[in-house]
Amino acid sequence: MFVSAEAFLNVYPPAAYSFCLTCHTRDLVNAVLNLIFSAGFQTAAVAHRALMVSSPAVLIGAYFAARFHVERAPRKSERPLLHFTIGFVVMVCGIVIFGCPTRLTMRAAYGDVYGLLAVAGMFLGIWCGTAAMRARSRACVRTARGANGGSR
Amino acid sequence: VTAVRVYLTAAIGAMGLVVGYLAQRSRMCFVAGFRDYLLVRDRELLLGFFSFFLTVWLLTTALYSLNLLKKGAPEYGEPRTGETVGGVPASADGEPRAGVTAVVAAKPQAGQAEPSAGPSDIAGGGPEERASRGRRLAVGFVSAPFTPDRFVFVSLAGGWIVGLLSTFAGGCVLRQHVLAAQGGRDSSWYLAGFYAAVPVFYLLLSRLISSIY
Repeated sequence: MFVSAEAFLNVYPPAAYSFCLTCHTRDLVNAVLNLIFSAGFQTAAVAHRALMVSSPAVLIGAYFAARFHVERAPRKSERPLLHFTIGFVVMVCGIVIFGCPTRLTMRAAYGDVYGLLAVAGMFLGIWCGTAAMRARSRACVRTARGANGGSR
Repeated sequence: VTAVRVYLTAAIGAMGLVVGYLAQRSRMCFVAGFRDYLLVRDRELLLGFFSFFLTVWLLTTALYSLNLLKKGAPEYGEPRTGETVGGVPASADGEPRAGVTAVVAAKPQAGQAEPSAGPSDIAGGGPEERASRGRRLAVGFVSAPFTPDRFVFVSLAGGWIVGLLSTFAGGCVLRQHVLAAQGGRDSSWYLAGFYAAVPVFYLLLSRLISSIY
């Protein structure tokens, strides 16, 4: 679908650009800022021709899907600051390497070496992240056992 | 500011709607696939990842050989936005020309080896520098001329950080959108940081990064 959108709808100038949440969000925000403040923030060449509304559209689509299939369950925020920071850093990295994981995959499949490298780096990062999670859970288990042992 | 085309915007919006719906139904996530495989050896989402990869690969190859798709360099420039910072579009020869040439040249450059002239103008000082970067590896799979440079390490490191933090956040960007729509407050905060990062990046961090880079 993405590829056909790029081919037939001319979402072209940066190639493999038909769907990317970081880049499209970037373009949307920058286009709005450019409109308001007439600041010369960088946008992709397609964004001169259209508003990249894919990020709000994904939100709306997922909202309706969850609504129809009664899966919408508001949950309390546990660590808002942590997630804010994570979103911030992911966005910055996404701007620097041009793409959210979706577009990185698309670029890799498109034949871009940088995309392939970024996907490889992503897998490495996931591996490190799971290792860290495992280590943390193991440490939690150990401390729990220690606490149990101490209480006994 | 050129005219915003309504139909293109509507098409992108419709695509986003469909993608959001499907992503909510299938719980698709590009990060969670590999994470689940590592943690509990669950292959389902990883299969989704690879089927996405394969589909895009096959379709690009097919459409390219049918001459419907123009292959080019998917990246459009290292954000050297030290130039465009501060309200002044200082890359006066860079960005508008890039936009114009890209839009104009999208049609006639169908099978060219270097249709990336427009996009990469923003990156590295115009087509002449791009050409002087010299010989390119002609690998069959690779769509754009590839010469190793520093962006290799940048993309590796950036991908590493994205993967690590997405694992901690519990899903890739698409999944965070879906979770936020389902009502997860954490994901809403994630998205808030996501949107807040854009102006901050272009106002502050790009200077820092370009001074390092």
